[in-house]
Amino acid sequence: MAVNWAERISAFSRSPSRFLSGTTAEAFLAELVRELRDDRASYSVKVLLLSPLCESPILLCPSDSVGEETALELMSVFAQCPPKFVDFRCHLLLALTSVLLCSSCMSSCSCASQDFLDLLLEIAQDISDIHGDGSLRSLQATACDCLRELEACCPGILSQRLELLGALRQRETSRLHQAYAGLHTLVLRNAVYQLTQEAGAGAEHLKALLGGNTSFAWEADQDSGLMNKKDSAILSSVILGPVGTVPTLQTGPDCKELRSVLSSLLEESYLLTPLCQAALLHRLTEVVAMVPGVPPAIFRAQLLRLLGTSEVCLLHSILMMKCAFTDSLFSAEDEAFILKRLVVLSQHPLLNTPPKLFYMDCLLHFPENRPINCSDGDETLPVLLTPQLASALVPTVFNDSTTMLTRFNLLCLVYLEEAEEGVGEDGRGLAYLYEHLTSLMHIVEHGGSREIVVTFFRAAFLFLSYFFYVERYSNSLTDKLCELYFHHTQLAPHLINLADQTQDRLSGSTWGVGLLKALQRAITEAPLSQLTVHDLRWHLKMLARVAEEGEIPQQNTLNFLSCIITPSSSSLCVSSGWRLGNSVLGVCRRLLIHPSLDLLLIPLADILQHLTCHYGDTDIQDHARLYYTLLTTLSREKLASVLMQGEIQGGQQVKKQSLSCIMAESEGLTAMLTVHQTERAIFKLVEVNSELEEKMQADHESDLNPNETDTCPDEATAAVGAYRAQFNDPDFASEITLNFQLTHIGAHDFRFDQLFSIHLHFSLMDDHYEELSDISVPCLFRERPPPVVKLHLKPRRPYPTTLCASAIFTTQDGLSWHTNLPDIHVDFQQVFMPLPAPQAWGRASKLCLFEGLWDEMCQESRENDCATSRFCCQLKEAALLALVEKRFLPFLVSDLSTNKELKVLLFLPPQSHVLLKIRSEEDAVHFDIATDNWQLLSHIGSYLLTITSSQEDMQS
Amino acid sequence: MSLRALWIISRENGENVSTFSRRFSTVEHRAKKLAGSAYVAVPEENTVLQLLLTELGLTESDKSYVALRDDCLHCRRSPALELRVDGPGKRTLWPVLAISQGPLILACLPLVDAPPEPRPPLANLLSVSQGLTLLAGLETYLLGSGSKLDSEGLSSRLAMLPSVLLQICPLGTPLDVPPLGAPATPIVPTPAGNQKQPSWKTGLHRGRAMVNVALIETVRSMQYGNQSRQDLWDGVLPNVMVTLTLPPNGSPLQDILVHPCVTSLDSSILTASSVDNCDGSAFSGPYKFPFSPPLETFRLCSYTSQVPVPPILGSYQLKEEENQLHVSVILKLHESVKNSFEYCEAHLPFFNSVVDVRVSAGQLDVSKEKNLLVWSLGQKFPKSREVTMEGKISFFGPTPGPTDPLYSDLTAYVKLHFKVPDMTLSGCCVDQHSVQVYSSAKPRIVTSRELQSKEYFIWNSTGTAPVSSGQMML
Repeated sequence: MAVNWAERISAFSRSPSRFLSGTTAEAFLAELVRELRDDRASYSVKVLLLSPLCESPILLCPSDSVGEETALELMSVFAQCPPKFVDFRCHLLLALTSVLLCSSCMSSCSCASQDFLDLLLEIAQDISDIHGDGSLRSLQATACDCLRELEACCPGILSQRLELLGALRQRETSRLHQAYAGLHTLVLRNAVYQLTQEAGAGAEHLKALLGGNTSFAWEADQDSGLMNKKDSAILSSVILGPVGTVPTLQTGPDCKELRSVLSSLLEESYLLTPLCQAALLHRLTEVVAMVPGVPPAIFRAQLLRLLGTSEVCLLHSILMMKCAFTDSLFSAEDEAFILKRLVVLSQHPLLNTPPKLFYMDCLLHFPENRPINCSDGDETLPVLLTPQLASALVPTVFNDSTTMLTRFNLLCLVYLEEAEEGVGEDGRGLAYLYEHLTSLMHIVEHGGSREIVVTFFRAAFLFLSYFFYVERYSNSLTDKLCELYFHHTQLAPHLINLADQTQDRLSGSTWGVGLLKALQRAITEAPLSQLTVHDLRWHLKMLARVAEEGEIPQQNTLNFLSCIITPSSSSLCVSSGWRLGNSVLGVCRRLLIHPSLDLLLIPLADILQHLTCHYGDTDIQDHARLYYTLLTTLSREKLASVLMQGEIQGGQQVKKQSLSCIMAESEGLTAMLTVHQTERAIFKLVEVNSELEEKMQADHESDLNPNETDTCPDEATAAVGAYRAQFNDPDFASEITLNFQLTHIGAHDFRFDQLFSIHLHFSLMDDHYEELSDISVPCLFRERPPPVVKLHLKPRRPYPTTLCASAIFTTQDGLSWHTNLPDIHVDFQQVFMPLPAPQAWGRASKLCLFEGLWDEMCQESRENDCATSRFCCQLKEAALLALVEKRFLPFLVSDLSTNKELKVLLFLPPQSHVLLKIRSEEDAVHFDIATDNWQLLSHIGSYLLTITSSQEDMQS
Repeated sequence: MSLRALWIISRENGENVSTFSRRFSTVEHRAKKLAGSAYVAVPEENTVLQLLLTELGLTESDKSYVALRDDCLHCRRSPALELRVDGPGKRTLWPVLAISQGPLILACLPLVDAPPEPRPPLANLLSVSQGLTLLAGLETYLLGSGSKLDSEGLSSRLAMLPSVLLQICPLGTPLDVPPLGAPATPIVPTPAGNQKQPSWKTGLHRGRAMVNVALIETVRSMQYGNQSRQDLWDGVLPNVMVTLTLPPNGSPLQDILVHPCVTSLDSSILTASSVDNCDGSAFSGPYKFPFSPPLETFRLCSYTSQVPVPPILGSYQLKEEENQLHVSVILKLHESVKNSFEYCEAHLPFFNSVVDVRVSAGQLDVSKEKNLLVWSLGQKFPKSREVTMEGKISFFGPTPGPTDPLYSDLTAYVKLHFKVPDMTLSGCCVDQHSVQVYSSAKPRIVTSRELQSKEYFIWNSTGTAPVSSGQMML
């Protein structure tokens, strides 16, 4: 079978969920394992096959047992793989690590994980290949990486092996020593951390630990429960800045052993790649921070080398040391030097943008020796960062936008202090920043790119958020923005956004309102003769925003509106077009709820009336008429309550679907028009006792009164013939009806308490049934009784199946949602139907039919699909009766009370039958089965097994 | 110190598509444990791509304003992006690091090994600098250091990436950056002694030993920056000492950054910096750099230096006369600079214009497509060390054509491109005999120097230059 694995694997990694919807995780895993074991597959393909196991082990091995099983499979593949396929063997180790860790086999110390640990340690210690081609060395390096990851995820797992790891590290002279060093340091760090958590641990314990080489933690330390500890604190770095507290281990000054391990690691640190060196230094910093007995000065010899480095991660490790040790390792001069160094690096011509941004971020979170305020997480300026020093970081228009904004923010902070200290408003720094903002605006004005435009507005917001109270600049900015708007009206959304955000975020600032007022003035006072349709669109949008401000008088807006809708020779006249009309109405609508409506009443009414009578679009006319009516007939309070609803709820995002919303112009409609997807299932279909079943039961009871008429056939072949004739009508008894209740599930979410217009859609997973039509349910309220949904299934083949259900519905706030329901399982017994015999037939005729059918089915030669079988089980007489009464009553043809042999006829649409003759023999109950569709035998067999065993259970 | 995931996105036919991604499941497992209830899972590839492009402002380029993308509140001020993953509680995926270079966007998500609330500063997360280093290394590996894009090489290197990652970042913990040039040789045991082999040295150098110290200074019109380069050795850890010396009253070398292979540094070397006014007693050499070289060519150290006079002093004037512009350019070569160039060109951009100018020396070339006037001065300035250009420029109306909002009205510039071999502006040099090699092999030692221009602008003195230096102002 030619399977394009490269394509399949990449499809999986692109979207595991979509890939798995076409198959199951179980099947895919089985396929992968089979292919991995296949000798014909090439090893390059096999490497590919491991990637799903490395990247998404949790999807493929959802439970411990599957993980364990898969790991055992992979280990046997590893054992059988010839040593020369190094790449594949390395990837196998990675896959094993991923599977065992993610399925949490490792933390539950399963057999496979113990074997795997042994295997890794064995590889790591192997010295057989010392003069070989180095293929073992690559495997050893990977084994060390795996061990390190195991230790990282299950801290302490190797803590009893410290001495061995130390020896391996020291023995190794090839490049591989780096892998051992990384592993050794991590294990050391975790071991020391664990000692800090043990009451009474001291120097002796530490010494024992460093010399220890017993076994894995879980064997030696079974009862201490280290591995099962839920606490994740050990995983996080112990160096957390001013507010974090470091757990400590009191050893006294005597910890020679630890010191010698640390110095040997530090001495060789120079030989590691910068990335590994930084990790090693960080781990050792943590160790020294936890053991006060070791002086931080142990790092001193490395500092100078590291301070001059061009590598971002090495300098970072110095900063973390500074954070951990403050003045016990770094003097005040050192601090000044490091800070200066950071400023240099933040603008060094050699470095790329991302490290520079990182250094600037570090400046704002500089680990000071004596921080004044311990606000963790907030940006604060280090005391030593003077305006003089910071001037190296002034933004220029040549910076890329992120650098520019970062520098702008930093300098704002620097000059904020200056401004607050009263050096005054005429600080030159502030002046420079403002000048920079204006030169940005200059570029925007000359048609700068979208990026520049966005950057300018962000810089403006930053500037305002720090300096909105410096009126000289904020007023001037308002004027300049108005001018800018006039030349580039398409910037309206940016300006509205700026006004919104300043209003939202800067409490105590009225700058946003000021800007809107100025814009209103600019728009309404400009000569109308120069107005173009393009500008007008944006003007109307802007005026609509201005009209939302209660404090801004709106007379000018009204004058403007009335000018543009009345024809005049000198200016543009809006007399048709739905969009423009809608924009005009958008402004009017906001004016209807403006607090100063009383003053606006007459001109507004005039405008609406004019639109009603003269506008060239019927829809707009209608809307205007409605507004006019509302305005002239409703009291202010009522008007407000009708129109406000949509405005207030949930700010600008959510609008209620009500009359007012239909009238509002199209912004905000996107949310309404989009179908949102729910996070989880909101409701489900629960099966209820099918009505049909109840009805049939009633019928059956009436049958028990023997008032049969003579018109019914009493001869078997005649009965079969009459019965079969009914099926000439293709729709006859072709459908089963299942009843469900639609009920809420899951956590209470008030948004979904009241649902409307629920449209259920079903899809089939196989082709045993005809497609289902959609079902509509008017509403579903949490507090009301659940609505009943009838599902009409039309089988092609009466087998059990699963239906996928999804729904689209509307919530109270008018949003549309799409959701998936839990799958609906249709069991085999749900397909059973009572015999669709003609209405008039009595028991005798049915019995005749039963016998006729039975005989037919037993003549196997006649039709290939017929089959007979027998099912036996141990059941007492009473139990059997109870069983039949419970499961087969609607389908019983014979009399329950009298007959020794019970005859059951199961009809399965469209045209299948299962006939049962049930009788108690001395040793067992026999179910003789005859069917005209042999494929049903397995289903009926398992069904009988289920019901009889459950009946047995009930007995015992 | 680990990464949860890595993505590489490339631009193909104007669309950004994800070309490589890797999730590190065991690190994700740790992330889940560390973050507890604040854990945010990494979405699938396509979702990440969309969110990332939105943050980088690269989505819906046909719309001038998209609230999600352009909100002025949402201002990126650090190398870490925040992906706004949909869902209740407005959860975000942080810190996503991204580097955008040429046709590629490289991104990764470092593990946050600190309590998630309140959000820790980047300075507390070593994984951030590790992620940045790895991304930069991958970028150099994929795109090469050259300026030209080699798309065939790129796709073959992308195909190699899985096995490269096996070496340098096997389980999400970055160990090294990808090797440049030939793939890493397998780990071979070292022949002799107890000396351990550096892990950053991928093998042994075979062949003739040679020291090649190249000192390259680049000069900017306002500011000068330089680099020196360095080459090859044999033995496991041969020690080399390169000494930089300055002339008697040369200004000190500042902002020195060294390669990690430098074994030790004198503290006085690091004291001088461009960001503060150091006193006259500052250390001025000799600057000694003891190191053990890796196999590939590397940048031993970089420095900046403040030189009082520019090598070429320029004056540029544009005057408006009726419908024309009168243009005048004077370039003067400083007497301390050797009058022997490898090349020297002045570039003047003009949009939508007809040019009619004369020059006192050199050749003129008008490139209509690039809207550029190229004035090529050749290898030498004339005896007087001064050249001039005079003439008129007339604009041919508002024809559509490229414009640059930065250079409107009288804002215009001359940009100089030149290279002078065998000289440095700072006077810094490496004496061939001062290079000490402590190794059994007797290497050949070569040293060289050169000066290059970079961002060498001369702005029109009658217009407003769009940039002002803050330092000059304050």
